[in-house]
Amino acid sequence: MKHLFAMGTGAVAVLALGAGLALAAPEPDPMTALAGRPAGADPLDPMTALMARPEEGTGGEGNVELGGLPDGPGAEDTFYQCVACHSTEIIKQQRVTDHRWDELWTWMVEKQGMAEPDEETKKVILTYLKTNFSSER
Amino acid sequence: MLVDPNPTDPQSRGDQYSSSRRAFMKTTGLTALGALLGMAVPFERNLPAGIIPVALAQDTGMDLMSGKKGLVVLGDRPLNAEVPAHLLDDDITPYEHLFVRMNGLVPQTALDQNAENWTLTIDGEVENPLELTIDDLKSRFENVTSRLVIECGGNGRAFFQPGTSGNQWTVGAVGCPEWTGVRLSDVLKEAGLKKTAVYTGHYSNDVHLSGDEEKEVISRGAPIAKVMEGDTIIAWAMNGEPLSALHGFPLRVIVPGYPASASQKYLNRIWIRDKEHDGAKMTGDSYRLPAYPVAPGTEVPESDMVVLTNMPIKSIVTFPETGTEVKAREQVEVRGHAWCGKGNVATMHVSVDFGQTWQEATLEPAANRFAWQRWRANVTLPQHGYYEVWARATDGDGISQPPLSPVWNPRGYANNIQHRIALVATA
Ligand code: HEC
Repeated sequence: MKHLFAMGTGAVAVLALGAGLALAAPEPDPMTALAGRPAGADPLDPMTALMARPEEGTGGEGNVELGGLPDGPGAEDTFYQCVACHSTEIIKQQRVTDHRWDELWTWMVEKQGMAEPDEETKKVILTYLKTNFSSER
Repeated sequence: MLVDPNPTDPQSRGDQYSSSRRAFMKTTGLTALGALLGMAVPFERNLPAGIIPVALAQDTGMDLMSGKKGLVVLGDRPLNAEVPAHLLDDDITPYEHLFVRMNGLVPQTALDQNAENWTLTIDGEVENPLELTIDDLKSRFENVTSRLVIECGGNGRAFFQPGTSGNQWTVGAVGCPEWTGVRLSDVLKEAGLKKTAVYTGHYSNDVHLSGDEEKEVISRGAPIAKVMEGDTIIAWAMNGEPLSALHGFPLRVIVPGYPASASQKYLNRIWIRDKEHDGAKMTGDSYRLPAYPVAPGTEVPESDMVVLTNMPIKSIVTFPETGTEVKAREQVEVRGHAWCGKGNVATMHVSVDFGQTWQEATLEPAANRFAWQRWRANVTLPQHGYYEVWARATDGDGISQPPLSPVWNPRGYANNIQHRIALVATA
């Protein structure tokens, strides 16, 4: 993180650097978040234009057999790993950073008692989640 | 997302829920259950042979959604559903229009409305630990009834960019029903707080999503100083009726001004702690904010996350419904509610020109501290065309709602972005 942003006080920025914080965007410019934003899903509800996930919904139906998860490498593994406790609705709602998916995985294992699959399956599932439910791509 | 397509037609609503239940049964049907074998998730506790998915559907509380009207279901297991803004127009939010936030599964006692032998334990840093029946509560302490806003800490999460994890609530995870119960401060006085008491820890009998009965679903609390102010209650009734299965039967806490996760449902124990409570969803980044402002998308070390306490100043437009057609050059009443975690809403303004000019709305006094307050404004749209009404409340410290999301935080809490609706003016 070489690009320091103006945060009001240098002390805060230094503190943030010292704590080893990682930024999703290399060059933070608040206006980029506002430029070229797609219109909201409902032109008669202005709040829809302000949402992180402007398309509202999961971008199509997905595979009904897999709780509406979109088809793709890892879809089945994800379904079987994740629906033991909750439905796919909580997954389909997400648009988060890659780092957050790693954190969520750890939280699911350590705090919620999710059984970890083998390393290979874990990689496949995390790649699937980061591909389909991402704020980064 | 499962959206109720036709909120005004009860017949179609029934169909909607049964069809989403069919979809749900597929999700957790036999194939999925097969995948569970070998995992420590004892669903067996309610699995009469052959009717597995039905038993599971029952536990989520999804069947009870037939008693709700026009809600948008964000997830069926756990059950989470929010309310479109225009259905929140009532001063006292009726049952059918109160949002649902389940962290786990509805306990059997609540489904059966069976409070036999229910007790509330008060222990920890107290001189005289108590074990109170519901009758004890009703008869030994002054009964109080008040309108208290209850708002999910993640209400407004959908507006953070980049996205933050959790249910993508927009504006409708809030309501202001009328609650009846006793002051938690009165109960704690009877128990006698020790000098070492600093925090409450709330416990309940709801069931973890995995079905594991040993696992805590959620256990949050509040500082002793907050609950001793006297506004925090242990409630057994909402809008004059016993608490419903979805909202915490037979007892719950209401900690007004705090994220609703502090207002434990299905309450059976309050553990008085000698330090900040560390139950499920008190720690990590659950219901916590960075101790300093961070750029959107920043990962923040756990040690720099602090507990979210007061919810920020906020308001919604409940009338008219967004997209309504009105006449140009004629007065139109616009109205809604305003509330604040500190309990000090000061003023209310609306803009019909995208925030360029603001006009003051009238603000009615609160029915009691921490009730939401009705605001009204008459607006006149100068000519035909498309308009937005932006609503902005300001608290007693001069802090008002921002036009875009406030400072980003990893889990997307406390978003008090201004609510906007569209009005289409005809000539
Ligand atoms: C052992 C049970 C269990 C399993 C298996 C499980 N989860 Fe979860 N998950 C939970 C619980 C409990 C919650 C909290 C639910 C709530 O608060 O509404 C949760 C919440 C979530 C959330 C919302 C997080 C937030 O910030 O609120 C996401 C996203 C999620 N799970 C994704 C997954 C994915 C992806 C998988 C599969 C890789 C998975 N879960 C498997 C128990 C589980």
